[in-house]
Amino acid sequence: MSAFVDECRQEWKRLGVPDLLAEEMATELEADLAEAAADGVSAAELLGESDPRRFAASWAGERGLVRDPAPPKRRRRVWPWVVVALFLVLFAAWLALQAAGHSSASRGRPVEGMQPRRVRVPNVIGMKACKAVRRVARSGVDDWRVAEHVHGYTCDLIVVGQTPVGRAIRRPGHPVMVTLRLGRN
Amino acid sequence: MAAESRRSQMLRGVLDLCLLAVVVDEPAYGYEMTRRLRERGLSTVGEGSIYPLLGRLEREGLVATHREVSDGGPPRKYYSASPSGRRALAEGVRAWRDVRGEVDSVLATIEAEVAG
Repeated sequence: MSAFVDECRQEWKRLGVPDLLAEEMATELEADLAEAAADGVSAAELLGESDPRRFAASWAGERGLVRDPAPPKRRRRVWPWVVVALFLVLFAAWLALQAAGHSSASRGRPVEGMQPRRVRVPNVIGMKACKAVRRVARSGVDDWRVAEHVHGYTCDLIVVGQTPVGRAIRRPGHPVMVTLRLGRN
Repeated sequence: MAAESRRSQMLRGVLDLCLLAVVVDEPAYGYEMTRRLRERGLSTVGEGSIYPLLGRLEREGLVATHREVSDGGPPRKYYSASPSGRRALAEGVRAWRDVRGEVDSVLATIEAEVAG
């Protein structure tokens, strides 16, 4: 019997029931259990409960002696934020790719639909053919045409003439006609 | 098992009235109330205990309590129906009788004996 009451005491202490009231309940319970035992009535029969802690919590709760437990923290849903973050990362990556593509296009082949309205023709005279091709491609006037050459078109050839001249303003895709020679004149 | 559970559920709604009924005329301590219930035919109160219920009645002011020295033992806590407890008991008994009458009307034609 006293073991049952002792467990009740511990539970009331854990629940924050004031000592005076816990002791009052313990005394009442102990006296009733002793009298019931004398009548041949078991604790479980009297209390309808064999778990002292559950019994103690129920009694104290109904008497309003248990401090209201702090409301459980609402678990924030993480996954919507993960989705949003992922979307933002992907969007930022897409923007970066677009910017890189645009930058590349502005230096080289203009992207269709994003072409600048005018480009400056680079001056490639004196450059080796391959370097000149790249420079022309980056400028946006990328229609490279060889007007005249000797020994075929190789990187070793030197640009000795161009039309339009360097720094001229033309539409994108305007042809650049170059004259190539093997070595400088 | 199912029958016992149903009995417990039905008792749960009226056990507070039964407790008030056994202390409306004369105060009693916890175990004494159990004894009075048994004497009036309610031998078991089903799941749970009268103590939490007494706690609720006390919190709601439906029972008054006082301590009384017992013979040779520790002072006992006595419960008695407060004025509001008496009113609640009267209203509860009226409601119980209404419900019991309605349910009886519905169940009156049902054969109670179950073929075994």
